[in-house]
Amino acid sequence: MELKLTEVTKKYGGFTAVDNISLTMTGGVYGLLGVNGAGKTTLMRMLCTLLKPTSGSITCDGRDIFAMDASYRGLLGYLPQDFGFYPDFTVRDYLRYIASIKGLRPAVAAKRTEELIGRVGLVKAADKKMKKLSGGMKRRAGIAQAMLNDPKILILDEPTSGLDPNERIRFRNLISELSEERMVLLSTHIVPDVEYIANEIWLMKDGVMVQSGTPDEVIASMPERVWICRTDKQTASKLMERYQVSNIKTEAQGAELRLIAAACPAEGARQTEASLEDVFLYYFGEKAGEENGVV
Amino acid sequence: MVWFEVKKVFSRASGKISLAVLAALLAVTCWLAVSHIDYVNADGDIVTGIRAVRMLRSDKEKWEGYITENVLRSVIRENAAINASDEARSENVKEQNKAYAKKQGFDDIRDMINRAFCSFREYNYYRADSITEEEVGGLYEQRVARLREWLYSEEVYDHYTEEERAFLIEQYESLKTPFYYAVSDGWQAVLYYAQTIVMIGMLVCGFLVSSVFSGEFQTKADAVFFSSKYGRSKAIAAKVKAGYLIVTVLYWILILSYSAIVLAATGTGGGNCAIQTSFTYGKSFYHITFFELWLLMVFGGYIGWLFILTLTMLVSVLTRSPVLAVMIPFIILFLPSFVGGFSVLSDMLGLWPDQLLNIGEAIMLFNLYRVGGHIAGALPVVFTMYSCLYLVLPPALYLAYRKTGID
Ligand SMILES: Nc1ncnc2c1ncn2[C@@H]1O[C@H](COP(=O)(O)OP(=O)(O)O)[C@@H](O)[C@H]1O
Ligand SMILES: [Mg+2]
Repeated sequence: MELKLTEVTKKYGGFTAVDNISLTMTGGVYGLLGVNGAGKTTLMRMLCTLLKPTSGSITCDGRDIFAMDASYRGLLGYLPQDFGFYPDFTVRDYLRYIASIKGLRPAVAAKRTEELIGRVGLVKAADKKMKKLSGGMKRRAGIAQAMLNDPKILILDEPTSGLDPNERIRFRNLISELSEERMVLLSTHIVPDVEYIANEIWLMKDGVMVQSGTPDEVIASMPERVWICRTDKQTASKLMERYQVSNIKTEAQGAELRLIAAACPAEGARQTEASLEDVFLYYFGEKAGEENGVV
Repeated sequence: MVWFEVKKVFSRASGKISLAVLAALLAVTCWLAVSHIDYVNADGDIVTGIRAVRMLRSDKEKWEGYITENVLRSVIRENAAINASDEARSENVKEQNKAYAKKQGFDDIRDMINRAFCSFREYNYYRADSITEEEVGGLYEQRVARLREWLYSEEVYDHYTEEERAFLIEQYESLKTPFYYAVSDGWQAVLYYAQTIVMIGMLVCGFLVSSVFSGEFQTKADAVFFSSKYGRSKAIAAKVKAGYLIVTVLYWILILSYSAIVLAATGTGGGNCAIQTSFTYGKSFYHITFFELWLLMVFGGYIGWLFILTLTMLVSVLTRSPVLAVMIPFIILFLPSFVGGFSVLSDMLGLWPDQLLNIGEAIMLFNLYRVGGHIAGALPVVFTMYSCLYLVLPPALYLAYRKTGID
């Protein structure tokens, strides 16, 4: 299967949220990386037929997804960023209902519901009301919902945001498991979420796709290098003003900095292999530091 | 799918509260309707409730039958005899009550005499006291004469065309006389409080159905809903169906249990009598019986609920907010009392949807409408108009919801 975006643009009034994006998805996990406001949600809502592009087209195996209507949505599983549900439904009822609007026959729906409740680890909570679930459990119910129709295209909008580190790791594993035999598009502003599970990374900034490719290709695309240097505190603060610093380790005598520079930034600095986080920092500037914590 | 939609509505706290309110409404209206009937016993004390119903019926039953000249004369005779008694002439209220107690059996017929011999817009309870046995024989002619008098009075002369006057007079004249009288207190009690239960019930039901569509936006569940396979087709149809299922089931449970309870307590007799034998509907120009009036009330209420509540749902889709939507039934019910003062609008208000919920009132109005060369009262017009209007609403609802979200 091939999902293809051709010069897709979405404008809200005069504001361009998604700017002329052309991409092709064929299978595997795609990690859509970008800071808040980059246009990830807008792009995904278009892929879910919830928004129409202002211009450009989205096709599935050559056919326009809006023209395909129900037959396209039948291939789709979607976990929205702002995942809404029916607070007074139990998990089981919720899943059965969604199964019904996804066109599963009642007997199949019942079986699939139980299967997914087990798979996402909600067996004990199956008869609890949705509103009583913890944040992580809600998100797992959200994943289960998206998986009900065994979608060929799974779209997950920031599925790990707001989860604690343990939940996040479990979730990542779950997604990795679910990604077999389907195409997964996963958006995040947190690099480790996609670093190891994505076959392809898309870097999105201000509505524009700045880089795309396998993690290695994206890393290789960075024109500057990553350096590690150990200096005293005074030099360290100077370096931090001049370069993008992806990590600082404070030590008794000074600090060890990991930074991005075109040429050797200081005496004694040694070049090291770039990681995806360095690339993220390079393209998105200091904002990347927010989540990953500069000491 | 339909079942889940219904479940969505009633799993919310607001859904459960609404159901409780409806149950309370049913209990209260039944109680009001039954206790509304009172009876003055031989000691001059007022009795209410089921005991009053029984005693009143046994008094009135003696007068059942065609109200011929002879019957009218005996009413005048007995009435005069009671008036001449010591009790009636006493200054003591209790004594007067004892006198009234004896009149209760024929009070309905006595009231017919009052109405026929007062001018059309007036009512004087003591009018029958000054009617002679000779005069009372002309009751049925008097009825028509009073109407004619009123139609040609300055008060309303400009309001009707000659043809319309002729229509109303013809309606009065063609009513079969003499009237057949039977105790119809049960039907009257049902009809009297029907509008209360139908109207308040609809307001409560408005709360329930307003969330069927807008609930998706409120809970932000719309993204999953619309991106699912049937999110823009069958799942919406299921919502429309669920809305109607809720409206239909609640309406019929409410109105049928109300009618059954009240009739069981107050009696089903008199259903085949003309409504003109009653005090309340005595002047109506529609030729119907109490049972037919009940049918009109029941089906009118249903059409009214369907129309107004579908409009509510439509507004909840268009505004994506249940708040604005639940106001619709309130606006429809209360607008007439705000603008009612302007007589220019009175003809238009006669066709306002609230009339369907208020058949008991509508049946007494003299608004006339010209439809395709025919003159008709408001009721047939209202019934036809809202049945047709209602039919276009469900598709509108479906299409409006289908189009939301994509922009
Ligand atoms: N309905 C809308 N109307 C106007 N602007 C919007 C709307 N939705 C999103 N935006 C704007 O579009 C930009 C991209 O938003 P979004 O797609 O949510 O980004 P992301 O998911 O990457 O955080 C933001 O600047 C946001 O303010
Ligand atoms: Mg987003």
